[in-house]
Amino acid sequence: MRIVVTGMGVVSPIGTGIDQFWNAAIRGTSGISGIQCFDASGLRSRIAGQITEFNPAIFLTAKQLEQTDRFAQLALCAAIQALADAGSMENYEPRRLAVSLGSGMGGFSTFESSAARKFQNKSMPPFTVPRIMANSAAAWIATKYGFKGTNLTCSTACSSGANAIGMGLDLLRTGKADAVVAGGTEACVLPLTIAGFEALHALSTGFNTDPAHASRPFAQRRDGFVIGEGAGILVLEKEEQAQQRGAKIYAQIAGYGCACDAAHIVAPDMNGQVAAMQAAIEDAGIAPDQVDYINAHATSTPLGDVIETKAIKQLFGVHAEEISISATKSMIGHTIGASAAIGSIATIMTLHTGMIHPTINLDEADPECDLDYTPNHAVQRQVQAGMCNAFGFGGNNASIVFTIP
Amino acid sequence: MDTAELEKKVIRFITEKVENANALTITGASKFEELGLDSMDTIQLLFDAEDAFGISFEGEETKGFRSVGDIIDYISKHPPESKR
Repeated sequence: MRIVVTGMGVVSPIGTGIDQFWNAAIRGTSGISGIQCFDASGLRSRIAGQITEFNPAIFLTAKQLEQTDRFAQLALCAAIQALADAGSMENYEPRRLAVSLGSGMGGFSTFESSAARKFQNKSMPPFTVPRIMANSAAAWIATKYGFKGTNLTCSTACSSGANAIGMGLDLLRTGKADAVVAGGTEACVLPLTIAGFEALHALSTGFNTDPAHASRPFAQRRDGFVIGEGAGILVLEKEEQAQQRGAKIYAQIAGYGCACDAAHIVAPDMNGQVAAMQAAIEDAGIAPDQVDYINAHATSTPLGDVIETKAIKQLFGVHAEEISISATKSMIGHTIGASAAIGSIATIMTLHTGMIHPTINLDEADPECDLDYTPNHAVQRQVQAGMCNAFGFGGNNASIVFTIP
Repeated sequence: MDTAELEKKVIRFITEKVENANALTITGASKFEELGLDSMDTIQLLFDAEDAFGISFEGEETKGFRSVGDIIDYISKHPPESKR
C-alpha cells in the first residue's frame, strides 16, 4: 500500500503559503531578525525567526481568538492551506479522517502570559488550560473541519513534527484512517522559553547585531541555534483513494523510522541518529544509495551539526559524498516541533520541483562538516528519494523518507 | 458614573462581545443564554469585563450571574476605586 502527500500548507518566517515559502527558500532568504514581539533586552539571545505578518482574525472569530493559543492559530492557518490544496474530503466518512500533530511546547505563549498574571495577583483567563494543552491545535483542526477520526498529538521536542507525520503514515497503513492531516506547529518566541534554552547554552548569542547570519549550520563561528516559530501541515492519503478522487500527488511518503538514544536527556548521540535514518530507509524499502537528498536536522549548534555529519557518513559510507544536503533552519531558525514538518515540505518540494534549496551563511565550512550541504545557492537536481531528519531532546531521533511516486 | 451611564457602557461592551449583536436587543434584563452565551462564554465575558471596567470579581458571587443587569449591579456596588 502506497501513501501519498496530496496537500501542503506552511506558515514560516520566510513566507506563508507553499509558493511564497519555496520561492524564498530557493533564493536563500533569511527570516531571522531582532525580536519584536516583546522586550528582549534582558536576554543574551535577542533574535528569532518570527512570523511578523500573521492575522488570525482572517480565519477565526473573536471568540475563537480568545480560545486559541498562537501555536494552534499557526497550525490552523497551515491546515486551511493544506486542505484547500488537497481538495474536497467529502468522499471520506468523517470518522475516517484523522489529525496527527506535533508540538514540542504546546500553548506556551498562554502559559507564559497566564503565569505572569498569576504572579501579579491578576485573575486567570478562563481559557488558560484549553489554550495551553498540547492537543488543542489538533482539536481545533478537527473541530473546524468535522474530522471525527483518530486525533493525536505527539510531543517529542524537536522531532515532534516528524513523529506526528510518521504516526499519520502508520494510521493509514494500519487501516485506521482514510486521510490524515499531519504536521507540526510551534510558537515559542517567548521570554521564558528563550531564557530556558539560554540556560542550556543552546542558543546563538554572538549575532544579535547581525541576525541574518546567526543561523549558520555546518559553518565556522556557529554558536547555537536561533529560535523560530511556524507550522507545516501535510495531507496524507492512500494512493489509490487519492487517484480515485482525482487529487494531485506531490510525493510518496515511503518510510518512517524512530530511535531513542536512551543515553542523555539533551546531548545528541550518533548511533541513535544512524538507527533512525536506517529504520526509515528500510521501511521505505529502498537501498541507502538510492537516497540523493537529505533535509538535515542541522540546528547550527557546534556539536549537533558535526554529529549529524558523522551519522550520515556512518550510514551511507562513500555514498554520503553523493548526497545533496541542505538545512532549512539556516533560513527560518529552529521551529522546534514544527521544524521537521516544514523540513518535510522542503523535501517534498525538492522532489516535486527538481530544485534543492541552499544552506545559507555557509561561506566557510567547519572542517569537521565536509559533505555537500548545498552552500548559499540553490542547485538543480532531479531527486528520486529525499529524507528529512529530526533529532530532539530526550534522545528522540526520527527520519522520514519521501520518494517520487 | 450614574447607573444609566454605567448601563449604557456595559451594554455597549456586551454588544462588542456577542456574536450577531445586530439581531439582538440587549438590555439590563437580557439573560446571557438569550444572547447566545453558554457558561464558558459567560466566564470569558466576565473576565473581559474586569479589564474593560477596571474591576475585579471576587469570590463566588459571579456564579449566580444570569443577566446583563447582574454585571451592572455588581459594578455599581463595587466601583473601580473600591477595588481591593
